[in-house]
Amino acid sequence: MSPLLSVENLRIAFPSRQGPVEVVRGVSFSLGRERLGIVGESGSGKSQTGRALLGLTPVSGTATADRLEFDGIDLRHASTRQWRKLRGARMSMVMQDPKFSLNPVMTIGRQLMEAVKLHGGKSEAHDKSIAMLEAVQIRDPERVMAAYPHELSGGMGQRAMIAMMLVTEPDLLIADEPTSALDVTVQIEVLRILDRLVSERGMGLIFISHDLRLVSTFCDRVLVMYAGRVVEELDARRMSEAAHPYTRGLLNCLPTITGDSRPLPVLARDAAWLE
Amino acid sequence: MAFIDIEDLEVTFEGSGRQVRALKGVSLAVEEEESFGIVGESGSGKSTVLRALCGLAPVTGGRISIAGDPVQMPRDQAFYRRVQMVFQDPYASLHPRHTVDRVLSEPLAIHGFDHAEDRVEQALEDVGLGSGFRFRYPHQLSGGQRQRVAIARALILEPKVILLDEPTSALDASIQAEVLNLLDRLRAERGLTYVLVSHDLAVVSHMCDRLMVMQGGEVVEELTREALQAHATAKDYTRNLLTASEGFTRDPALRR
Repeated sequence: MSPLLSVENLRIAFPSRQGPVEVVRGVSFSLGRERLGIVGESGSGKSQTGRALLGLTPVSGTATADRLEFDGIDLRHASTRQWRKLRGARMSMVMQDPKFSLNPVMTIGRQLMEAVKLHGGKSEAHDKSIAMLEAVQIRDPERVMAAYPHELSGGMGQRAMIAMMLVTEPDLLIADEPTSALDVTVQIEVLRILDRLVSERGMGLIFISHDLRLVSTFCDRVLVMYAGRVVEELDARRMSEAAHPYTRGLLNCLPTITGDSRPLPVLARDAAWLE
Repeated sequence: MAFIDIEDLEVTFEGSGRQVRALKGVSLAVEEEESFGIVGESGSGKSTVLRALCGLAPVTGGRISIAGDPVQMPRDQAFYRRVQMVFQDPYASLHPRHTVDRVLSEPLAIHGFDHAEDRVEQALEDVGLGSGFRFRYPHQLSGGQRQRVAIARALILEPKVILLDEPTSALDASIQAEVLNLLDRLRAERGLTYVLVSHDLAVVSHMCDRLMVMQGGEVVEELTREALQAHATAKDYTRNLLTASEGFTRDPALRR
């Protein structure tokens, strides 16, 4: 089976006074219908990678790749019209904070139904939305449909957001830190919902996060990014066998409930990792 | 009596005809040179305890005393000599148009400290920044460096108590380790008392000897670090928090 998404030598650059700065420097990977984690610290280029896949690189930046293919469609030369057909319908993105990514002056219901209507299905929009809210385990979907984003808690907002992204049944979901703004217990619930949808609908999921430990318990495969490059690709179950000092450093510097190592081991950065 | 003694603390926020009881009778006792943690989810009132302690929340009941003295309302200068706070977001807690030097000199001027120059240099040295950072603005610093400046600002008055409100949750994992190590070292060197609030059980377990779990403005239970590590908890709520902190576990029925 050919992969759902293949990326080869993705580069993203932004102009600066000292000439263009590359924030993503030659990232390549392919994705089937699986859970792929992309982990890195702030500034490692993980979010920009995710955005570029949807053609959402900010206008000031330029994204180039030797190959950027989604289900046989060359995304590098996609027209605006093609993008409009793809985004939302076949690939979509869940952002970090529901407070900033939901429209504050529209009810959840209107925003959800807008997504359904845009991609065909005017008549069943309402029923589909309700069903989707139930699928993300919102107990009182009618109330949530009528609510404005500010009337919902963070966890509810994020579930509504996930519902909105999934109501069109995309093949690929890019989740950019979808649970970082949530409490641990809510975070696990949201992950469980994502996990079920991936296994039931056979979706491909790219899970972008800074939390290596969480990603290793949730994803099948993990890409570790450092300064715009993938420094290591790992099977999530073999996290303890990580070879790159950066990955090992990231794993070790987290405090644990049971561990009692103090001072905590600190990540010593090596200039050679930039190569 | 304990060094920091809080009894039946109540905080009620009022606004537009609505009352929110953020704290419903919270009591806690922290000994001198102890490190005490408060854990809970958003809205549990954990940060409100710290804010009430340093006079930033409307206290409507209960008592707070430090070293045997009941605190005044409004807090007097002597209180702030003794108690200082480090806030969560280093991007929001430093004045964007003040240099590091100005941020650190201001408390010294207010409290009439001498040798301000030397103290600023020393404070920067203590948090591992060095005097090269003295005339920088916050936007020229990374998140971790900013949090170090915030810690230096709190330490410069030589307080006994530091209130830490999620000091590392805005930072990357590797930077978090550095800041936690710094806080650990400073406490050992200076005999400080910490009250640390966090949603991250691992951070609290690493930093604190004793901790308190909060939910909905009330105390669920108090634990020692050893009890937490042994999962020896009496309450389901704490157990759920512990399980959730260990990461995602797949439902066996769904495992592929």
